[in-house]
Amino acid sequence: MNVDTTHIPKKYEDAIAHWVKHNFQDLPILDKYWDKYFPTDDAFCLCAKMDLSTSKTIEVGDKKGQAKAEDPSELTEEAAKHLLAIIRAQASTEFGSIQQHQVTLERSPSDQDKFWVLRVMAEELRHGYQMFHMLTSRNWEKLAGVKTEDMVEDVLAMETGSHVLEAFNLPYDSFVDNVVFSGIIDRVGKYQLTMQKVCAYRPFAQSMPPMLREEAFHLAAGVVPMRRWLEAAAQGDAFITPLQIQKSLNKWIPRGLEMFGDERGGDTNVHLGFKDMKNAEAQSRYYAEVTKLLRDLNLRFLRARYPSKSPEDTERMLDAIVRERSAIDGTTYDDILKMPHRTFFRRRGEPAFLMVSVEGDPIKDVEEYIRHLAQVLPSAYLASRDMSQYRDLIRRVAAGEVTPEQAAKKSPVMKRKAESVCPCSKGVRWVDTDGAAEKLPQVATNETPPGGATFHAP
Amino acid sequence: MPVEAAEVTVRPLADVDIEAITRIDEKVTGTYRPDFWEDRVAYYLRRDPEASRVAELDGRVVGFMLADVRGGEFGLEETSGWIERFGVDPAIRGKGIGRKMFDALVTHFKGVGAHRVRTFVDTRQTETATFLKAVGFGPSALTALEISLDR
Repeated sequence: MNVDTTHIPKKYEDAIAHWVKHNFQDLPILDKYWDKYFPTDDAFCLCAKMDLSTSKTIEVGDKKGQAKAEDPSELTEEAAKHLLAIIRAQASTEFGSIQQHQVTLERSPSDQDKFWVLRVMAEELRHGYQMFHMLTSRNWEKLAGVKTEDMVEDVLAMETGSHVLEAFNLPYDSFVDNVVFSGIIDRVGKYQLTMQKVCAYRPFAQSMPPMLREEAFHLAAGVVPMRRWLEAAAQGDAFITPLQIQKSLNKWIPRGLEMFGDERGGDTNVHLGFKDMKNAEAQSRYYAEVTKLLRDLNLRFLRARYPSKSPEDTERMLDAIVRERSAIDGTTYDDILKMPHRTFFRRRGEPAFLMVSVEGDPIKDVEEYIRHLAQVLPSAYLASRDMSQYRDLIRRVAAGEVTPEQAAKKSPVMKRKAESVCPCSKGVRWVDTDGAAEKLPQVATNETPPGGATFHAP
Repeated sequence: MPVEAAEVTVRPLADVDIEAITRIDEKVTGTYRPDFWEDRVAYYLRRDPEASRVAELDGRVVGFMLADVRGGEFGLEETSGWIERFGVDPAIRGKGIGRKMFDALVTHFKGVGAHRVRTFVDTRQTETATFLKAVGFGPSALTALEISLDR
């Protein structure tokens, strides 16, 4: 990888700085304690990174073998508009996840978990910055029909509830969500970034490898705490249980599956050379990977609970519990993490608004289905506006008042975007065209952290 | 059935490899150390996932090589590729799996501007020392020294 770094124009950096002030208040803490938690790692750089070694030739699609576009003007109007929608959605996810993480970050049970998530958030900010580089380093105005400032403004104005993808519109209920989201939803991000490495628009393709490199740790920031929590649960810790983790998985995995797009689609991306896999194929690979991840987590749990059992005996025990759905040596089927069925709790795509149990069994009665959801989803999430709206919609689908397709278009009920979204009184826009500077927080210099101090939430 | 190295695929390290790496280490050392490997895999993933590799056979991880690229240590200013830990499932050794992972790492190291690959070896571990010699490692002017503090 031959990486070049660059910056976006100052007025957009200022807009991000202003956004950080309102949405990512803990960013300066990462700077202060970077060397304590990531002592040998390079300093964080809020900048755009371009992999210059990326292929100059289109790798997939109708124009395979031709030169990749270096400017939007070299794309057809259809392709440019399609790509612009992808960039907007990608940018939305980056800023959206920070807004979600920030709310429950302080509830982290350990400082390490907190700083790992904090680093994830900072790198998501860099990914958002990267997408702004895509929007601001070339002229999209003719194609988009709006000014560059307005495209940036549009993304920064989004809040939890008004983002492009549903996974970024659900508030976190607890720090379990911070961790499960990193392990489950960021994994979809890995697949999208990997597919986009071939993109026929070269600046976008060049953006992917550095983002992927950072995304790998984001997944670990989800998986490692889950493994540790399961170990503790196996040894008797009653605070974070497999059941709590399972319920959070049931909340996020359906949203993750939908992030791949409708199972019947994805052809356009491949034809245009923007991605190298269709939606269903990518989703299937993701589903298989998460299934394997859950098996590994179960093995971690069982080996901690039965340290004298051999690895082979533990695997046999896990297989028997799953196969027979019975208790063995005190471990029940409910103690084991299970992959929700692909059609469970879906609102988009082929199985949208089907009423099936978490294990894929059809449920005919809508009230019975709602009671099932109440059993398998996190209790704090059940009390959310999102669930209230979903319950209303599924009842209307069951009554034949709306079709699943119509319901899919209504879900989620987005927050109405206000004209002025910045909460401070200084201005009505994030992008200040009058040039009132907001200083961008300096992130992760190599300052020496306070020696020997035990860090607790400041 | 004999396993040909050609069936083995080598790819960058990922979070989902933790369990398999822990298992390979357990087979080699006889010790189950999940916490240790969780920390090490997280460390290498945040450094550079491309600089560490795993080998897969029929979709199963059968080997790993954890490494990174760094400089400025031990008075060495030049950027070097450092291999810290590696292992291959004992049941399928001798099939060129370690060599494949090493070759992939060398390609990556060259690509990011490193001119040298370094590691430390306990010469009492003859199998490890033999492997490193076979892939081209030779004595270095840099010698590991130690002093016991228990005297």
